[in-house]
Amino acid sequence: MFLFSRQEEFPRLKQLRALSLFSTLSPRELKTVDALLHQRSFIKDEVIFDQGEEGQALYIIESGLVLICRQGQPAAGRIAELGPGRLFGELALLDNSPRVAQARAAENCTLAVLFRADFLGLLQTHALIASKISLQLARHIGQRLRETITAPGSQSE
Amino acid sequence: MNRGSGPVVWTGIIASTCLLLFVFQKILWLVVPFLLALIIYYFLQPATNRLVLHGVSHKTAALVTGGSFIALLLLCAVLLSPWVGARIVGWEASLTRYIEGGSRLLLGTMGALEAQFSFLERASLSRNVSEQTAHFTETFAQRHLGDFVVTLAAWLPALLLAPFLAFFFLRDGRRFTRFIARAVPNAFFERTLYLMHEMDRAARGYFQGLISLTILDTVALAIGLWIVGISSPLLLGLVCAVLAWVPYVGSILGCLLVVLVAATDFPLDPWMAYGAIIVFVLVRLLDDFVFMPLTIGRSLNMHPLLTVLMIFVGGAVAGVAGLMLVLPLLGIAMVVGETIGMIVTDERLQARHAHSRRLRARQAAADLQS
Repeated sequence: MFLFSRQEEFPRLKQLRALSLFSTLSPRELKTVDALLHQRSFIKDEVIFDQGEEGQALYIIESGLVLICRQGQPAAGRIAELGPGRLFGELALLDNSPRVAQARAAENCTLAVLFRADFLGLLQTHALIASKISLQLARHIGQRLRETITAPGSQSE
Repeated sequence: MNRGSGPVVWTGIIASTCLLLFVFQKILWLVVPFLLALIIYYFLQPATNRLVLHGVSHKTAALVTGGSFIALLLLCAVLLSPWVGARIVGWEASLTRYIEGGSRLLLGTMGALEAQFSFLERASLSRNVSEQTAHFTETFAQRHLGDFVVTLAAWLPALLLAPFLAFFFLRDGRRFTRFIARAVPNAFFERTLYLMHEMDRAARGYFQGLISLTILDTVALAIGLWIVGISSPLLLGLVCAVLAWVPYVGSILGCLLVVLVAATDFPLDPWMAYGAIIVFVLVRLLDDFVFMPLTIGRSLNMHPLLTVLMIFVGGAVAGVAGLMLVLPLLGIAMVVGETIGMIVTDERLQARHAHSRRLRARQAAADLQS
């Protein structure tokens, strides 16, 4: 029966569900989030954001590699290299404090961007979706904290 | 973000506001429906958000609220058209009656003043005014009512556009933001998103403030006129509150309207008209010092001196349309100007953009180099 058959998920929604931040969202919720996301392409060595810059958005890597490093020190100040599915700049979603590190494209990459004002709007209009994202975000920050504690010196935003 | 623009940015903001006013007065047929659509959009937005909060999809919520509003307008038009059709012939007589009522009040007041001050009597002020008002009253309806009806008929298609524009703003507003953001270079992307969010916040604050102000003005004036004993206080209050959207000129027209109705309702008692003027002035004072700071004043965050100066500039550049448009345009120009000022003067962002362009040019030409 057509009415009871599970709708085929669009490739874009499958792609979003593969991202850890949105892994707990239903297809309908993913469509709502997709309407808020901006897609940006960065070329190898392009600066995504600077250390000290006021953060307005969270970035999720859809493809390519991103280097997190100290300002202007991509080699010596390397903190982490993140691949597809990983997210960075997440603290900007919680407050508008300055970025604690620089982000650069380590190779050509495509990023999904969630703007803070859109996330705050989501809290107002779709509290369930926002709470699911917040929980995933809290897990992600907790994991980062554990990594920082177990491996001193390897801290990123 | 760091706020605090210099004189160059502020000159740019004021100059661009004047330029926009000058351009907009040439395309008022498009600007007025657009402005009305924005007012309807921000009026319906809370209801749409409430539906979304209850689990309705954004598109369906926009369809329900926008569709309901358009259906309500159509219903009003269908219900009111027989009533309007039956009375339209009598409107010319009503208009003349109200103008005569106003003239009687004016002449009565002049007569009373002449009785008090002999120099006014010697100047034959009352007789001169009487002759001029008699001529004006006799020819007013013939001269202006036809023009008014033709102008209304010419504007009607444009005004009908407003609810449909509002519906599409509600449904596709977000898509428009993403469309604009896509055209912005990576280096300026976050700042531009912030700018668009601030613009939306300023516009929402202004238009939702304007709606609240209109409701407060309507209620306050209706209560005042009801206490004085003027007929149709709620309708008069609403018309005056909507007229007050046009600074100064709108208030004067509103006051004139109230006086005409009071003078016609009570032709033998000029004190009723004076009472209505006092109520009107009290409500305007309440509006300026209490309602306005509580609603629009907070949203635009403008210095009162700048507001007053810009209203005069708006009137000088684009007449009545300028008076109406100058504050929302200035609010938007302020946000855009301050943010562009921040982007242009941020050398780091400029350097990042230049670096990105170099990288892209190099990559595009990679396989062309031998």
